[in-house]
Amino acid sequence: MNGLVFAGLVFLLAAGLSVIFGVMDVLNLAHGSFYMLGAYAAFAVVSRTGSFWLALLLGPLTVGLIGAVMELVLFRRLYQRGHLAQVLLSFGFTLVFVDLVRSWFGPRTYGIAPPPGLGGAFHVAGANFTKYDVFILGVSLLVGAALLVGWRLLKVGAVLRAGVSDKEMVGLLGIDLGLVFTLTFAFGAALAGLGGVVAAPFVAIHPAMDDNVLILALVVVVLGGLGSIEGALAGSLLIGLAYSFGTFYLQEFSIAIVFALMAAVLVLRPRGLFGIRT
Amino acid sequence: MPAVLLAVLVSLPFWTPSRYWVSVAIQALILAVFAMSLDLLLGFGGMPSFGHAAFYGMGAYACGKLFPQLTGGGLLAFLAAGMAAGVIAALPIGALAVRARGIYFLMLTLAFAQMVWGLAFQWTSFTGGTEGMSGIPQAVPDWLQEQGQNVWPALRTAGPFYVVALTVAVLAFAGLTAITRSPFGRALEGIRENEGRMRALGYPTYRYRLAAFVIAAAFAGLAGATTALYNGYANPSQLYWHTSGLVLIAVIVGGTRSLLGAVLGAFFVTIVQLVISSYTEHWQLLLGAVFIAVVLFLPGGLISLGRLGWLRR
Amino acid sequence: MRLEARQISVRFGALAALASVSLDVQSGERRALIGPNGAGKTTLFNVIAGELRPASGSVLLDGRDVTSLPTWRRARMSVGRTFQRSALFPRLSVSENLELAVRRGALGGRRRAVPDRLAAAGLSAVAERPAVSLGHGEQRALEIELALACEPRLLLLDEPMAGLSGAERQAALARLRNLPRSVTLVIVEHDIDAVFAIAERITVLDHGVRIADGTPAEVRADPRVQEVYLGRS
Repeated sequence: MNGLVFAGLVFLLAAGLSVIFGVMDVLNLAHGSFYMLGAYAAFAVVSRTGSFWLALLLGPLTVGLIGAVMELVLFRRLYQRGHLAQVLLSFGFTLVFVDLVRSWFGPRTYGIAPPPGLGGAFHVAGANFTKYDVFILGVSLLVGAALLVGWRLLKVGAVLRAGVSDKEMVGLLGIDLGLVFTLTFAFGAALAGLGGVVAAPFVAIHPAMDDNVLILALVVVVLGGLGSIEGALAGSLLIGLAYSFGTFYLQEFSIAIVFALMAAVLVLRPRGLFGIRT
Repeated sequence: MPAVLLAVLVSLPFWTPSRYWVSVAIQALILAVFAMSLDLLLGFGGMPSFGHAAFYGMGAYACGKLFPQLTGGGLLAFLAAGMAAGVIAALPIGALAVRARGIYFLMLTLAFAQMVWGLAFQWTSFTGGTEGMSGIPQAVPDWLQEQGQNVWPALRTAGPFYVVALTVAVLAFAGLTAITRSPFGRALEGIRENEGRMRALGYPTYRYRLAAFVIAAAFAGLAGATTALYNGYANPSQLYWHTSGLVLIAVIVGGTRSLLGAVLGAFFVTIVQLVISSYTEHWQLLLGAVFIAVVLFLPGGLISLGRLGWLRR
Repeated sequence: MRLEARQISVRFGALAALASVSLDVQSGERRALIGPNGAGKTTLFNVIAGELRPASGSVLLDGRDVTSLPTWRRARMSVGRTFQRSALFPRLSVSENLELAVRRGALGGRRRAVPDRLAAAGLSAVAERPAVSLGHGEQRALEIELALACEPRLLLLDEPMAGLSGAERQAALARLRNLPRSVTLVIVEHDIDAVFAIAERITVLDHGVRIADGTPAEVRADPRVQEVYLGRS
């Protein structure tokens, strides 16, 4: 898998994480778990019905629903206690989800095949692409475009960008902030779930798969700017680039450099490349 | 409460049925030191670090890297090296991180810790890479070794090292208690409660926060050194964010703003992780569920249950 | 302590919160700073106290330029302040709150001063209760006492009368009027009666601009002030 495709996949995850932080000021540490749940959902649907397309529909929906319930029932109780408590809560869920997934599906590693029609490879400009790579890129671009357009166009987007810091103001405008939060969290979760479904055909599906993904998404979101879709795009491309080169050069320090970069951004320019908040 | 706990722990090697329980207790005590150090930062200072494992791991790696040189100095040399490693790493990291607050501080500490982990993981020539460093001696002083084996022959090496671990934990508890009750500790709490007001009263809050960060790192390094001595190795997983997460769980479940709470939390986590895991594979679910329950319904941690009971008398 | 703020300008993005505002307060003077909401009064306080760096202009205390000094250093120079919304240490007891204040930013002794402070503020009865559990009037009393415990020579009070009942108001007024001349007082207030009871000079701000500065009589008679501020009530 080349860097561009990797970037597309990372974007799906980073976008959800960024949106959740942008609207709710919550760093969702369970985001990797949502990705994992999406992949397992894909496995479950494909092994039962053989249809990847059905998985593509049901996966994000299921994960989104789980996110909605989590937010509604639990996160909501912590509004008064501040954002940090919600971050901690999300962390607790990573443990719960890993355990649940392992008891339901077992500790084995699974895999699913790419759907028929999307197998096969070809060359473009000297790089190897499989048809599935193109599919991933297509999905990512579609989602990215939809998010960019929706964020700008919807009045809600503008109000949220300006008004979430002043909850009383938003309340006066007649917007149910609780509903907005639930929908946002569910949406972010669904995006991560989509990432999981899309990744399922070429990734090992096992109970520890949430880990690397979360950290990666976090780095991307910090670099690009918390709360910014453009930032998530830019950050993903950066990471995709790093992935292409990093596997060849500077092998002893590649991980350390990535995190040093993340730290540098947080110290020097906390809002990242494109973010608006500080 | 602390007196009861101490009595139980001191007498443990005498009534314990096997080496296994001593081993569990040793690991619980090490985690307790680690948790208390984070409690100083999080509970008293209000600084939520998600990268405290960096200093814990540095303490372990210091022992791993320097054990040929340290062996001559014995146990104290290793422990001191661990604390020094924590301090040395914490000064530059803290200088940068402590400027941030809340979630940004959390992410910054996570980033720095992952950076250190990345170095340990990949820089094989210096850190041993994924294998880490091994062959670290237990460094128990000879007189203790002999006495221990005379008194508890069935416990073999576990017994003498238990004395080491317990002593380290008790001294750490005493030291950190003194710090939290001192004017410095009060000021730290003031900064947690309202930093702006502290500035307006004339406190250089940045310096206080940095000092707390470094002190916490020193004790984390102490815990790391102790674990390296006990297990004989240092490896990257000791630096990984899961370790930071685990100690965070211990502090929060046990109770922030209370060193005893941190100790209880550490024992709870260790027992779930080591003991309960042999009875059921759902130990992570248990840990996660308890943690979530505490965050939602018992923000003061388990220790606050004890306080309530006391009040009702 | 003499306070001079020279041509202070502060911008928040495109908004000019303060535009070239100057303030000259003599040592021992009682000065009131008034103006409608959003006029920039608290912003000016933040600049004087050191919480905010102005885009241009300077702050001088007793002739010394402190514009680049951080808040805590100015506090050590005996600048005290209270906040619009009480800035207490919520989970600490009233005694512990005052203990932190009397130490004046250092770690040394002085704990013996706490009982006197409690008495002066009328809070001896609630000394061991957490600050967050106090009633509003008691919290405001503690708020003022925290600032006074540092023995300031310049005291910046941000709406000390806000939310006080009649009796509490009288007590607070008496407290302020009894302060020695060694303390320079600058008060932001909306309570006009209190302002005219205490102030020797009044400075009026509106939308970040100083529109009047003079004795109470002068200010009361100033047509711009009447139009912008007093006329509204």
